[in-house]
Amino acid sequence: MEGKQSWMERLDRKRDEIGEKLVQKEINLPTELITGILFLLLGILTLVIMPGQVKVSDTDVVNGRAFPTLLMVVMMICSGIVLVKELYQVFVKKQPLTTKKVNLLVEVKALEILAILVLTYIICAITDLFVIGAVFCSLGFLVYFRCRKVSYYAITLTVAVLIWVAFRFGLGVNF
Amino acid sequence: MKKRILSSILALTMAAGLLAGCGGSKTATWTVTCPWAPSGVAAMVSQKAAAMSTDYSENIILVADAIKGDAATVNTWVADTKADDTELVFAGEGLFSITSILDPAKLQFTYDDFMFVENLYSSVFVMSADAKLNIKGIEDLKVYAEGVDEISVAANGATSSEAFLAAALFGSMGFGDKLKITPYSSAAEAAQAVARGETNFAVSHQSQILETYQQGGVTIVCAFDGEDISEGEFAGVEGVGKYGYPYFRNRCFVLARSGTKAETVAELKKLYDDILANDEMSAWLNDTMMLEVDTMSEADVQEHIQNVQDIVNEYYDIVVG
Amino acid sequence: MLEYIVPALQHLFTLENFLWINIGVFIGSVFAAIPGLSVILCVILFLPFTYRMTAIPGMMFLLGIYCAGGYGGSVSAILINTPGTPHAAATMMDGHPLSRNGRTKAALKIALYASAFGGVFSALMLLFLGPQVAQIAAQLGTAEYFMVCLFGLTIIAGVSGKSMIKGIIAACIGLLISCIGADPMTSYDRFTFGVPRLYLGLDLAICLIGLFALVEVLAKAEKKPGQLILDSKKMNDNGEITKDEFKRMIRPTILSSIIGVLVGIIPGTGASEASWFSYDRAKAMSKHKEEFGHGSVEGIAAAESANNAVTGATLIPLLTMGIPGDGTVAIMLSALMINGLNPGLSLFTTQGDIMYAIMIGLVFVNLFMLLQGTFLTRLFAKVVSIPQEILTPIIVLFCFAGAYSVNKNYFDVGVALIFAVIAWLLRKLDMPPVPILLGMVLGNMTETNFRRALLISNGSPKIFVSSIYCIIFVILTVLAVATLIRSKMKEAKGETKR
Repeated sequence: MEGKQSWMERLDRKRDEIGEKLVQKEINLPTELITGILFLLLGILTLVIMPGQVKVSDTDVVNGRAFPTLLMVVMMICSGIVLVKELYQVFVKKQPLTTKKVNLLVEVKALEILAILVLTYIICAITDLFVIGAVFCSLGFLVYFRCRKVSYYAITLTVAVLIWVAFRFGLGVNF
Repeated sequence: MKKRILSSILALTMAAGLLAGCGGSKTATWTVTCPWAPSGVAAMVSQKAAAMSTDYSENIILVADAIKGDAATVNTWVADTKADDTELVFAGEGLFSITSILDPAKLQFTYDDFMFVENLYSSVFVMSADAKLNIKGIEDLKVYAEGVDEISVAANGATSSEAFLAAALFGSMGFGDKLKITPYSSAAEAAQAVARGETNFAVSHQSQILETYQQGGVTIVCAFDGEDISEGEFAGVEGVGKYGYPYFRNRCFVLARSGTKAETVAELKKLYDDILANDEMSAWLNDTMMLEVDTMSEADVQEHIQNVQDIVNEYYDIVVG
Repeated sequence: MLEYIVPALQHLFTLENFLWINIGVFIGSVFAAIPGLSVILCVILFLPFTYRMTAIPGMMFLLGIYCAGGYGGSVSAILINTPGTPHAAATMMDGHPLSRNGRTKAALKIALYASAFGGVFSALMLLFLGPQVAQIAAQLGTAEYFMVCLFGLTIIAGVSGKSMIKGIIAACIGLLISCIGADPMTSYDRFTFGVPRLYLGLDLAICLIGLFALVEVLAKAEKKPGQLILDSKKMNDNGEITKDEFKRMIRPTILSSIIGVLVGIIPGTGASEASWFSYDRAKAMSKHKEEFGHGSVEGIAAAESANNAVTGATLIPLLTMGIPGDGTVAIMLSALMINGLNPGLSLFTTQGDIMYAIMIGLVFVNLFMLLQGTFLTRLFAKVVSIPQEILTPIIVLFCFAGAYSVNKNYFDVGVALIFAVIAWLLRKLDMPPVPILLGMVLGNMTETNFRRALLISNGSPKIFVSSIYCIIFVILTVLAVATLIRSKMKEAKGETKR
């Protein structure tokens, strides 16, 4: 446990160092502008790929493209409204862009969590044994949360194995 | 103290429930995947057969599963199974005779990926008409079709067996260009549509139109079979075959993954045959489901697939346009 | 109706069903009691469990979670002044002050009794109103159903949060996702990009695991570690409720239950609206207005009975027309349909025995909630402080196991992960996730009826105003949209003034 602790302490120190640098760094995300542009582009892209993705017959009264086209038109109109509203605020009312503060430390932490999730997924898929991924996931999160309590490790690992047992033997999910 | 004891009892009961749910696995459990709606005819028959499997075999327990998705479900099944896996799947003429011609790219499998186990039943589709039209037979139908510009038929799916049967009937009568098939999400919905007057006709399994027929919403025009219906509520309904019009019955084959040991397949076939020979089962199929027990050989299956393929090729343009 | 009652009771009264009710109630109470976990999350996590069950135990389990969630949220609201679920916020107004006055157990008891009454009342309303509404729904044709779907989509306005426009964009995304897979009318593939696994479309449960559950795990990055400490000495009062207090509870409980049912039936409004509205009504009608905000017995009773009275009522439009009253019951639609139970009149006729078993079961769900609440409240109170170090990996494992078990493949787990990332990015843009869920639920039904109606009318849109029902739903849709726009504008004005 001593070795493990020092290893964990080293990792935590490293994380603290990076965290200290990142905690002050904030980006102002122009949310309305991004929303407007992003979904306008998504609408255009969907309409462009539609002929290749949705096969239709000439005799259809209303074919399979009609509904998604309608949706994309509605989405593009709404995106346009968001965009025009924002530009009106900025250029006519001379108000600043609507922004949202995004902290880099939070985003890096989210990436760490995502990495645990993706690795768990890869381990499960490669080994085809959910329980191995489950153990990794539990340990991953306990390390992420800087947990030092042995009892927490014991409880979490036990529950992880129990979840596998319940699905594997109770529900007949063979993984 | 009393409360503590009661709390403990409650907690223990729940724990016991969880443990009961976590019982041991059964090694000879065969999952029978039905790629259609759980409320459909095939899924119900599969469920019934599975429930009776323990009475006839000590080695094999059948568990019915229904995952709506047709070709997609069978694609997934083929991708996820290998020879000797304890998995079975249903497939019918819809996949091997219709989708294979209309949209072959959709099928990630061929018949060679399977081993035929047994066919459980055959179903004679019937055509019902809006009661207001007062059409009670083929002759009435001809007169009606001659006098209108459009014949709308409700079917479970735009390119389903039902749609092709309607196309084959009106096509061979010479009214193919007047036919408009309105697809519904289920046979039950299609049956209700004709009673509401949304369409003039509907093609469905007999059991699926029975309730609407009894309520007086529809009349039964004809049966897609060689002979008239001989028994049950629809006894006397004319078979289109009598007039020389094309027809086929709906059949659903139980299939195992190719490469599965021949003796295992034979054991499964015997189990299904034993279940189908049971009086309770055949009575249920006849009376409740309005189906017929119809065990088949590999050659019968090939003949059925070919017959439907011929009809699909001939009336393709009417259905697909 | 009576002919279904006996077979329904035979279906219902099995050990298995009662165990699943209790397990559901227990899990629902625990989830709702923990701040940050929601009932919708709980239902999503356990939905794949029900895919392996038959209809009655599956629905009993989910309804157990749903109803107990209504009560469980009040536990943390009363104990630590943090509502376990958003709709418990109104309970907190008086629940926590009463707890601070040294009457924690009494506050919990009032919340429990009021919740149980509201729940039972709502279940009875479902039992009696459901079949009547289904009779009317049976007369609806394809065009009418499209109009019903359109009316159902007005829910989006109610669940869009600050920006209704963003809500509509999110709903369009959900509706577009529902287009993936085989075209419901022609069976041709759409947006599958040649991936065979997509031919079936994206399973609702899998997408929701990503959109609502895994994204909450990613959101742990936003929160500072630390746990909520519960002072167990708080629960040492005798929990006695005086006769006078009981008397004072009766009127707000009954009135709020009625309000809860009425609010629940209207799609787009939910437990939060019902509890706040009832709380305000109770305050306005009370002889002890001064007590509100300082531990009023009437306040707790009004808020709790209303939010539980919503539970059965939201099932009325769901079971009769397939229109979910709120996000949580939208998920339950999957559990029903996987068992071949399609909303509509046939659910109350040909499958009447199963449906009545479920509706009667809902009464028992609330009774078991009362029982568990009486004996296990101390336990529910303790789970409020389960550390996130333990809770987070457990949630992840349930998500992964649940996503895998739907179709038994890891492709779906990957899909859930992709949806989690999408939801995380949408969160950054303040895009609400619930409209995506509603779009996915209503997408297929809306498109199919829209296209089929036009096919029937040979392309003429007049079909959408061709019957009295169509016209009624057009008027209802216009009214709903107008009312919601007005309230949003009022909200916006209020914010500007502030």
